[in-house]
Amino acid sequence: MPKVTVNGTEIEVDKGTTILRAAAEAGFEVPHFCYHPALSIPANCRMCLVEVEGAWKLQPACYSQVTDGMVINTKSERVVKAQKAVLEFILVNHPVDCPICDQAGECKLQDYYVAYDSQESRLRAEKVHKVKVFPIGPEVLYDGERCILCTRCVRFCEEITATNELTIVQRGDRAEIRAFPGRELDNKYSVCTADICPVGALTARDFRFKCRVWLLNSTDSVCTGCSNGCNIHLEHFRNEIQRYRPRFNPAVNDYWMCDAGRLTYKEVHTDRLLHPTNNGAELNWHAVCETVADKLKRAIDEVGSDKIALVLSPQASCEDLHLARKFASDVIKTSRFYMGGKRDGDSDDFLIKADKNPNRRGIEAVFGSTTAALPFSQLVDDIEAGTVQVVYMMDQYMPVDAATAARFVERLDKLKLFVFQAQHQGALAQKAHIALPVCSHAESEGTFVNFEGIAQGFERAFAAHGESLPHWQIFMRLAQAMGKPFSYTFIQQIRKEMFAPRPDSVASGTAEGVPVE
Amino acid sequence: MALVETRPVNRIKQNLWDKSYIPEIVRGLAITTRHFFRNMNPDKSQRSTFTREYPEVPTVYPERYRGLHRLMLRADGQVRCVACMCCSTICPADCIHIEAAEHDDPAIEKYPRVFVIDELRCIVCGLCVEACPCDAIRMDGGVHIPPYTERGAAFFDRDLLMERGGLSLAVQGGESK
Ligand code: SF4
Ligand code: SF4
Ligand code: SF4
Ligand code: SF4
Ligand code: FES
Repeated sequence: MPKVTVNGTEIEVDKGTTILRAAAEAGFEVPHFCYHPALSIPANCRMCLVEVEGAWKLQPACYSQVTDGMVINTKSERVVKAQKAVLEFILVNHPVDCPICDQAGECKLQDYYVAYDSQESRLRAEKVHKVKVFPIGPEVLYDGERCILCTRCVRFCEEITATNELTIVQRGDRAEIRAFPGRELDNKYSVCTADICPVGALTARDFRFKCRVWLLNSTDSVCTGCSNGCNIHLEHFRNEIQRYRPRFNPAVNDYWMCDAGRLTYKEVHTDRLLHPTNNGAELNWHAVCETVADKLKRAIDEVGSDKIALVLSPQASCEDLHLARKFASDVIKTSRFYMGGKRDGDSDDFLIKADKNPNRRGIEAVFGSTTAALPFSQLVDDIEAGTVQVVYMMDQYMPVDAATAARFVERLDKLKLFVFQAQHQGALAQKAHIALPVCSHAESEGTFVNFEGIAQGFERAFAAHGESLPHWQIFMRLAQAMGKPFSYTFIQQIRKEMFAPRPDSVASGTAEGVPVE
Repeated sequence: MALVETRPVNRIKQNLWDKSYIPEIVRGLAITTRHFFRNMNPDKSQRSTFTREYPEVPTVYPERYRGLHRLMLRADGQVRCVACMCCSTICPADCIHIEAAEHDDPAIEKYPRVFVIDELRCIVCGLCVEACPCDAIRMDGGVHIPPYTERGAAFFDRDLLMERGGLSLAVQGGESK
């Protein structure tokens, strides 16, 4: 393995390592714009120039590989001069729009200017004007003046999505990024270009002007858009999610996530159930649990436990499901489970999976088999046949076509008792005898098992909306009210019981080392 | 232990004349009366009063006095503020509320749809003015924050703040040159 010296620190790196990576391993940052670890290396921005002893020219660190005995200096006078020159060159026509630029605060140009340049502009000539607020795609806006032509976005569309929408048009100081004639940046991962754009040239339409990035708090979470379970930074401000941003995990989603998944955060803040209700009347948790306990007990006496159905939700976390199972087996003593969740949707061969539920494999893991729960359509039939007279439903999703769903809603009137435990208002909440508000994945912690069986933990970002509680806490309260309390105090105790090996070991055991984005 | 520094005070010994008080009271009253009549002088320049006839005669504040906020204007009368949130971010009292929106003019792009300052919560530190990259917010009008009888009256919204605004000499991005 080659031994190299970076700024006096000697380290051993793998053969074929680039200078930039070797320097990162030695603990030195080499500023870079065009280099992205997941993309090819065009070495076009020249921000990463470093001095290599023996070479008469400065070398691009992103591209040059180390050789044994190489002596690298990332801070020499020549390098500093080159960095200043490159930044000055980029800023010649840069509008320095920072006050109105959504990238401000997470902009490489801003950061590098402060860290490596910080000299006053010597430019007195008029700057070249280019397009601004150009709708390059349905989800992304392009600002030609801010673009530094690093081609990260172009390479993303070539190498990651292979959709090839973008290219550079014109030359010199008039060069801009454009979609090919008749096309637009409309692939299913288009907002990733805004993530990887080192400046504010590509910005996400959904996040536009919503919140300054320095005000955001970030929580590690998992996207609930489909069963792929892309790792995300859930970014929120004042108890409201502002955006999702992909979190690097080479085992699941690498640096990416899909556009549809990014927008799923909106569900968290629309039409939420906020208070427990009994036939439409608001109650507090204590009273509503007593009521449910009472009604369930009476139902058990009247119709028997086996006529009580529990609709499981693959949207709920493993912890929730584990307690659902325990609640069913120990408290109401039924094993009549039906599968809820969202209907299948579109899929592709990259990240997007047809199963739009983040935790179907979690049901398998918790219940031990895929056949533990009957299909939802069966539930409708069973209600009609009278074999089910009490329904306890987790989440409002119905994995059936609209006609069957309508039939289900209609048949609800036949039930002795319908307990509805979900996040959202709607027809089901209105029909419910008891509606119990549940909080979203942003307001609780838990574990999802993705389609490949990778268990991934997610963290709580902010306080629950209204009086909502996580499913598992509701089951705990109900078990208590029915006189068979569970003995958990912390979610970790459920986790320990749920899986033999701790989920954390897979969940956070993601990347080796720190990715250099 | 540090020593306590002491300073002897030379007290003036009172004599009988002082101790009887009466003559001193009379002397004091004489001074007060003299001042009273001097300040009744119809010729104001002859008076010695320090009282300002506020609010009939307004106070002239020093040039750098930080008073009521105002939002500056562009040449065409639109608000200069571009809703960058620098002021609301730095504000230690957290009393500036801004909601940004898309401007019809692509050269301006961003403007504050809502801009409210809670003047009662404001601690008049002036950091918002320092932070503004656009010379859009100022506290230099020389008007102090008035007393409020109603809580709601202390919320100054964008239009109210713009009413006291003016033009700025600074060049702003997005302005036609
Ligand atoms: S791209 Fe960066 S430097 Fe340019 S205007 Fe935006 S924040 Fe400022
Ligand atoms: S739009 Fe962004 S990512 Fe694309 S070339 Fe310009 S600066 Fe680079
Ligand atoms: S003067 Fe200080 S407290 Fe008042 S609005 Fe400005 S920053 Fe906030
Ligand atoms: S700092 Fe200036 S431009 Fe920015 S939001 Fe405040 S007043 Fe507007
Ligand atoms: S040339 Fe090396 S990062 Fe751009």
